[in-house]
Amino acid sequence: MANVVYDVVVVGSGASGGTLAAHLARAGAHVAMVEGGPKINTRTDFPTHAMPWEFSNRQIPKMRPGKPGMESERARGLGGKTLTWNAVAWRYSQRDFKGKTFDGGGEDWPIEYAELAPYYEKIEREVGVCGNYDGLKDLPDGVFLPPAPYKCSDKLIDKGARKLGLKTIHVRKATLTQARFGRPGCHYCGNCMAGCDVVAKYNSYDVHLLPAMKTGKLELIPNAVVREVMMGADGRAKGVKFLHRETKAEGEVLGRSVVVSCACVQSVALMQMSAKDGLGNSSGQLGKHFIPHFTGGVEAFLEGLVGSKLKDDEGFLDHAYLPSFMHERKRDYVRSFGAQFGYQNRRGVGWAREMGGMGAKYKQTVKDHYPSFVVFSPYGEMVPNAKSYVDLDYAMLDQYGLPSARRQVTWMENDWKIFKDMQQWSKGILEAAGAKIQKVWEEPRTNHELGGARMGDDPRTSVVNKWCQSHDVKNLFVLDGSVFPSASEKNPTLTMMALAARTAEHIADRAKKGEL
Amino acid sequence: MAERRDALKIIGSISATCAFPFAADELYAQHEGTHTMPAGQAALPEPKYFTKEDFATVAMIAERIIPQTDTPGAGAAGVPAYIDFVVGRNPGQQKVMMAGLAWLKKETKGKPFVALTEKQQLAILEPLCALCDAGETKGVGERFFKAVKALTADGYWTSKAGMGETLGFKGNAILGEYPECLHEH
Repeated sequence: MANVVYDVVVVGSGASGGTLAAHLARAGAHVAMVEGGPKINTRTDFPTHAMPWEFSNRQIPKMRPGKPGMESERARGLGGKTLTWNAVAWRYSQRDFKGKTFDGGGEDWPIEYAELAPYYEKIEREVGVCGNYDGLKDLPDGVFLPPAPYKCSDKLIDKGARKLGLKTIHVRKATLTQARFGRPGCHYCGNCMAGCDVVAKYNSYDVHLLPAMKTGKLELIPNAVVREVMMGADGRAKGVKFLHRETKAEGEVLGRSVVVSCACVQSVALMQMSAKDGLGNSSGQLGKHFIPHFTGGVEAFLEGLVGSKLKDDEGFLDHAYLPSFMHERKRDYVRSFGAQFGYQNRRGVGWAREMGGMGAKYKQTVKDHYPSFVVFSPYGEMVPNAKSYVDLDYAMLDQYGLPSARRQVTWMENDWKIFKDMQQWSKGILEAAGAKIQKVWEEPRTNHELGGARMGDDPRTSVVNKWCQSHDVKNLFVLDGSVFPSASEKNPTLTMMALAARTAEHIADRAKKGEL
Repeated sequence: MAERRDALKIIGSISATCAFPFAADELYAQHEGTHTMPAGQAALPEPKYFTKEDFATVAMIAERIIPQTDTPGAGAAGVPAYIDFVVGRNPGQQKVMMAGLAWLKKETKGKPFVALTEKQQLAILEPLCALCDAGETKGVGERFFKAVKALTADGYWTSKAGMGETLGFKGNAILGEYPECLHEH
């Protein structure tokens, strides 16, 4: 390994890194995939079908006994978070890319929807995305497998939404509803986020990396916790330094280009660790504009299902979605929100401790309400602000002696307005659906980390250009949620994968022309 | 053995479903010589954290919160062991438990809680439950009850008896196709 100089060294094997590495290998580039975690077999290593009562603390562990991986933020395993994601897969719309132009606030992307559309399609055709053709302006259709049918709770919520002039749609997920590409269709066991054991749900290891191994151009280097992007005297990246996950032995992987794609915050942290003022940070923007989604939550009981006969309908978790609708309405804030609902399976019964009473009556009350429990989870778009950023905490060193990434999030007036409005709408829809509200979250929670190394045309205000290429270091790329200049209210992964496909093509083209 | 279990089962279901609580009390009284606990409580495991007496008290409260009906109650579902496990690992919970158990001892004038009649036990627990439901959890007793109820609920509804039998959990199965909702809702 020591003497090999790869064409491209990719750090991180999740949705972005996994997609990019496979596309590059297929294009003929010699690729090293450097992953902090071990190899994980999604068919055998997760306790996918476990039930809580099998464990004395009633918590289903992340991995089966003796199976390492996913234990920390830095060392996850080949496939990264795609192993345990929920697979929601939207295209962003022109409005998502140009939010500042449409309603002010935040930043525009340096690319248009039309530029990314072919890559969305490429990804949809190679991984399989199910969904319905809805013809919505702000949620472009793609190439879909049939959607998963609605649940009873979805029908009730849709009815409530319609009373308020809204409409739900079938969720779109990178989960197969029919057998395709040598993978089986979903069997609706409700365990997507525990690790899909049949790969009906996309994960980057089984769907992208493993098949790309056949090219002979891709080398997997797991258990390598990258601590630094190495720079040459010529101002170019020349590879990465790593520590072995278990032995902590040092190692290096050399390459003509380096791609950092280790899940947003960790990518930012790696760049910050790699140089005194942060690698590729002449703009001073590295770590800034951290814009994770914020989510609300309303827990409720759908009266129409109280006391009903329980169905085996956990499915692949959420089957429906409420797309953003506020863009077209009068409001006193910029941007918008959308809502997922019912993405918890029926093994979460924490609400039962909140039900009143005791004795046989309490027992019956919980039983009656069990089929009707639903969580409504709206997601809002955060507008970047100076008080939300990522930096390194040298007081908190991990087992490798590396500083931890510190997330600072402060929600501003606009964020609070969206949060309050989306909670209000969620409550309203549920009440219109005939639901009894159990709990309304009072504070937003973060999800879907985005921003920190945003892309832009101006090297003074952004970290990478529209090709995810560092403005400062020409053979260094950053590729994951960190490059998003604005977040949209939609789940971001499909957009990361489309960016990965586009960046891979760009790197391969430039390499052929000898420009990298 | 089977006979004894059957007998316990019958008594358990009477205690929970009978419209006249005193009738159940009488029944218990008749059997006081052989046992003082409802079904599911008879075979408590060795506690790892609690003393035997405290453990029996907590187990009894858990059973009162989720009693045996046509499906198992907290005791038969293994909730006492779960509470022992969780509290043993949580210093915060231990404080609440110890304070609560001491408070309870005063309430019962030193008599073991399990030796009280069901009616007497409920006379202590039900007002605490009502206060908790009203959001009033300032007192030691209320805090104790709230903690035991939360632990009981968590332990019971995630148990095979609670989730599997009582709630009739369906899921975690391999389906050929998704059972689409075809109802008029």
